[in-house]
Amino acid sequence: MVKIDDIKAYIAQIPPAPEVLKETLAFINEGELTKAATCAQEDKALHVYLKTLVNKPIYGFKNEVSELSQIFGILGTSGAQQVLYNYMLTLLSPKQWELFKLNESLFFELQAQLNQQWKRMLRQLNIDDKDIESAITLLPASIIVCEALFKEHRDEVMLLRSVKEMDYNTILKRLCGMTLFDICNLIAKKWEMPPTIAAIVHAASGTETSNDDTIDQLGRWMHLLLFYEFSQAAYVEAGLNDFLEFHIEYVEPIYDDFMSLMEVPCEP
Amino acid sequence: MRAVVKNRIGIFHPQGFLDGTNVPMLLSLEDIQATEKLDVDMLLVSLKKVIFFNKNGLDVFVKLLSNIRSKLHVVIGFCDYDTKKYLAISKFYENDLNFSLFQTQKIAMLFAASNKEDSKKVLVYNPEASQRSSIAIELFDNGHHPVIAQSLKEFEEKKQNADAFDVIVEETFLGLFGQKIATRVRGNAIIYSVSNYLDAEISDSFNIAYHNNSLNVGFRLFIFDAYKVVSMNIHAFNFFSKLASAAAEYNATLCFVGLTFEKTPESFKNDLEDSGIMFFDKMEEILENKELLEELGGSSAAVIKSKRTLNKVLVNELPRFIDATVSTIEMMTNAKASKEGASVQDINIDKNSKHIASSIGFYGDLDGMVALSFPHSIAKKTCELLLGEATDSDEEILDALAEFVNIIGGRVKSLLLEKNINVNITLPRTYTSIDALLQVVEGKKGVQVDLNFDGENFIFFLTR
Repeated sequence: MVKIDDIKAYIAQIPPAPEVLKETLAFINEGELTKAATCAQEDKALHVYLKTLVNKPIYGFKNEVSELSQIFGILGTSGAQQVLYNYMLTLLSPKQWELFKLNESLFFELQAQLNQQWKRMLRQLNIDDKDIESAITLLPASIIVCEALFKEHRDEVMLLRSVKEMDYNTILKRLCGMTLFDICNLIAKKWEMPPTIAAIVHAASGTETSNDDTIDQLGRWMHLLLFYEFSQAAYVEAGLNDFLEFHIEYVEPIYDDFMSLMEVPCEP
Repeated sequence: MRAVVKNRIGIFHPQGFLDGTNVPMLLSLEDIQATEKLDVDMLLVSLKKVIFFNKNGLDVFVKLLSNIRSKLHVVIGFCDYDTKKYLAISKFYENDLNFSLFQTQKIAMLFAASNKEDSKKVLVYNPEASQRSSIAIELFDNGHHPVIAQSLKEFEEKKQNADAFDVIVEETFLGLFGQKIATRVRGNAIIYSVSNYLDAEISDSFNIAYHNNSLNVGFRLFIFDAYKVVSMNIHAFNFFSKLASAAAEYNATLCFVGLTFEKTPESFKNDLEDSGIMFFDKMEEILENKELLEELGGSSAAVIKSKRTLNKVLVNELPRFIDATVSTIEMMTNAKASKEGASVQDINIDKNSKHIASSIGFYGDLDGMVALSFPHSIAKKTCELLLGEATDSDEEILDALAEFVNIIGGRVKSLLLEKNINVNITLPRTYTSIDALLQVVEGKKGVQVDLNFDGENFIFFLTR
């Protein structure tokens, strides 16, 4: 099954963040959106990615938005940073998904949904912090890592699961002493993401808490959001519903607020 | 999503939010077909990790489970819920609750037809008198001791003294129950609970595969708890006569307890006695009489007199069995297991070694059993992936060992299927000592393979 050497090899092959992206992010951090847009022009794939993203129905624009300066202007500094991290993650995602029934478009959709819902939640919590807003971008890395490490072991996992209810995260932890979220942290470090991002995503695993109440609270919201999205028919069909264990007791303190925000009647 | 099977109970574990649009996606056609092929007594959906559900979502599960019940005659329902969820389900299906609800998996196990749990003292409460009675009857049939609280007040009072009970059953509802004959294991005797009118349907409700495998793995005493039987007709009589003939080949004994002959011809009794079946008035006459129990074979899972020999087909498939064992160990530990030597022989194992063991039987195009005997430390290491946090509890290690041989059984099954050999596997069995294992396999010819894992040897034994 998966060995610690496989994890090391996987981490080693993750490329550092491309220079263009790093520079663009630096301009965004300085609030220089026009310079950021000019810099981003150099990466054609990024341009296409951003254009496709902001023209998704979830962004609600009537007319097509195509200019990068316009896109960055719409997104703002927080939104732009979030989208750039999302783009970095797509560079890591496989061309062909094998373990999960995903494709480029469905994964893109998931990222967009998570971004928008997370923004809603932060508004509800009166949090306006660029790094916290971007934290959601690292979450889908757990799916990519899981795909990469377990795609060769699907049948073995199914066999294990025929006798014991176990998620991929638990299997990895027991076999290698590392979780998918530990690996996400390593990716975040490699990509020089702000430490808050990794901390919130770690708390969103539902298995480990931090010593920071705010981080844990955000982790709860993110954990429940993740399973809210993973319960959508398309992602259930893709096999995402049970790749991680849902910790119901962890999210209980925020459940009613979450359901009220998502406008779902709180039954049962 | 596939059901996790343990002790012949299949359980689905959905997570998150369940509604009418996502539940159909949880169960692909392949999942449904795989579920239909499961050899289980009970099929449940755990709501432990479900934070939200609506009726449309549950309806999809109920429809699937009901279809399977009509084909396999298994008990279906939901388990692992809190009061809020229990009340919601009860409200959703107020007039149409024909499936069962078990507060926990542990409670569900008390009601499973093939119950291998020790007898438990169970406090029962349900606001409906008919449910209280049904629950108590089923528990009793499965060999437990139910204590019914007739009112909420009485229940709350009794609950204060929780130590007096092994299990407390509340917020549990029995819907249409399966038609399978309840089976329980007491020591080395197997007890089947039969009731009402015994007719041609007995051949459908009696799990003959389970019975044959129990014979194969060394059980010699089979007791039919027949206190609640009203009468028996010629079809049932023929069924039991055949069962007695088959048992004779294994030197096994069949007994009826509590059967009256007011509405059953007395001649049946004489003829069944001639075919070797014994009759007793009370269960205690057997279970509390050690000498008789020993004589009948219920004190140990003894060696089968008419030993079945290894055959060429089985030996030809030996590499697949070894591959399945070795690859399962490697999969679960990421460490290498190697073969040290193999020979056809009686099992050769140091009786003083502190090994624990497990076995699993298989039947179909091929039949036999695989036994694995491990030093305690290796068993623990092998099962670390299943055990999770380090434990020294023998019960947990044996439980994990049972899951481990179950995985091996599953692998063997798929490897054999590649060669168009169809087999089914039995429930795994575990042994706390070498003596217990030897009682089953001693004197049987088999293939013994000494395997090495992490510097220590363990034994693989394939026999019939």
